[in-house]
Amino acid sequence: MASLFSGFGRNLPRLLRHSNSTFRREISVTSICADKSSQQRFDPDVKDIKSSQQRFDPDVKDIQSVLEPEESKHQEALHKFITVDTPMDISSLTGVPEEHIKTRRVRIFVPTKNAMQSGTNNTHHWKMEFETRERWENPLMGWCSSGDPLSNMNLQFLCKEDAVAFCEKNGWPYFVEEPPVHKPKKKSYGANFAWNRNTRVSTK
Amino acid sequence: MKMAATGRVAHVAKHVKPILSLDKGEARKRVLNLYKAWYRQIPHIIYEFEIPINAKQGREKLRELVLKNKNVADIRTIDMLVIKGQMELVETLKMWKQKGHVMNYFKETVEEKPTDFLSKFFVGH
Repeated sequence: MASLFSGFGRNLPRLLRHSNSTFRREISVTSICADKSSQQRFDPDVKDIKSSQQRFDPDVKDIQSVLEPEESKHQEALHKFITVDTPMDISSLTGVPEEHIKTRRVRIFVPTKNAMQSGTNNTHHWKMEFETRERWENPLMGWCSSGDPLSNMNLQFLCKEDAVAFCEKNGWPYFVEEPPVHKPKKKSYGANFAWNRNTRVSTK
Repeated sequence: MKMAATGRVAHVAKHVKPILSLDKGEARKRVLNLYKAWYRQIPHIIYEFEIPINAKQGREKLRELVLKNKNVADIRTIDMLVIKGQMELVETLKMWKQKGHVMNYFKETVEEKPTDFLSKFFVGH
């Protein structure tokens, strides 16, 4: 089995194609004759032992030379592109429990400006957060506790489209909260003395 | 505050790098291969781990876990699921798992979590 794991990344397609049968044999062989070392295991389908050793030899530099023509064609095709017409959905891969995919709602927003300062730092990106779940005060220390594994997720995105794409591929329902549009205030000294302004009382 | 409507963004076909399979048929074959590999090993697993279930229950569970992902359509996702399933199989057969890890597929011993307010309160929070 050790030979199967050498060069795992590159040989993965063939590993997955061949390993099931190899495995079955190995398991059955080991369970029948547990004393025998791995060298004595045999593969009933392989007639020529030399060729089978060559196939899994880690010293083989050029993998193409030992591949069947259709296998090497497949390998080549793997380096090109395929067309996928379904939306990307990795929610079945991430390991996030189903209850934290279907029942959660994501808010995508721009963080607010610090009210105590006039600078606009930290407001030039988009963030996402999940709706708040139950929190409680720790009875011993008075710390804030929560059983929500997603409550501390803190991600930043350059634009809302990135955040939306991230939520979509993870299967979370979301809504986008656009930042409020502020109308700039008129700040002109002369405007205080305009003809329709109440402050201009002396010469009215 | 303005809120944009929630909804799926219209999707267009994309050119992507494949993982293992080039088309749906190939991905399907891999899934079936994995299913068969697990199916054959279930009696061994039950014997080796001495778990209190029979082969029929094990195969039902296998079927359930495979069919859980029946709606997955992306070829790459299917490939990744196959790789993960293969890794699980290796981990199980190599005895890198323990009894509890295998029994984790069958969650019957886990107590039902309370759902209503008062029983949650009685449990602790």
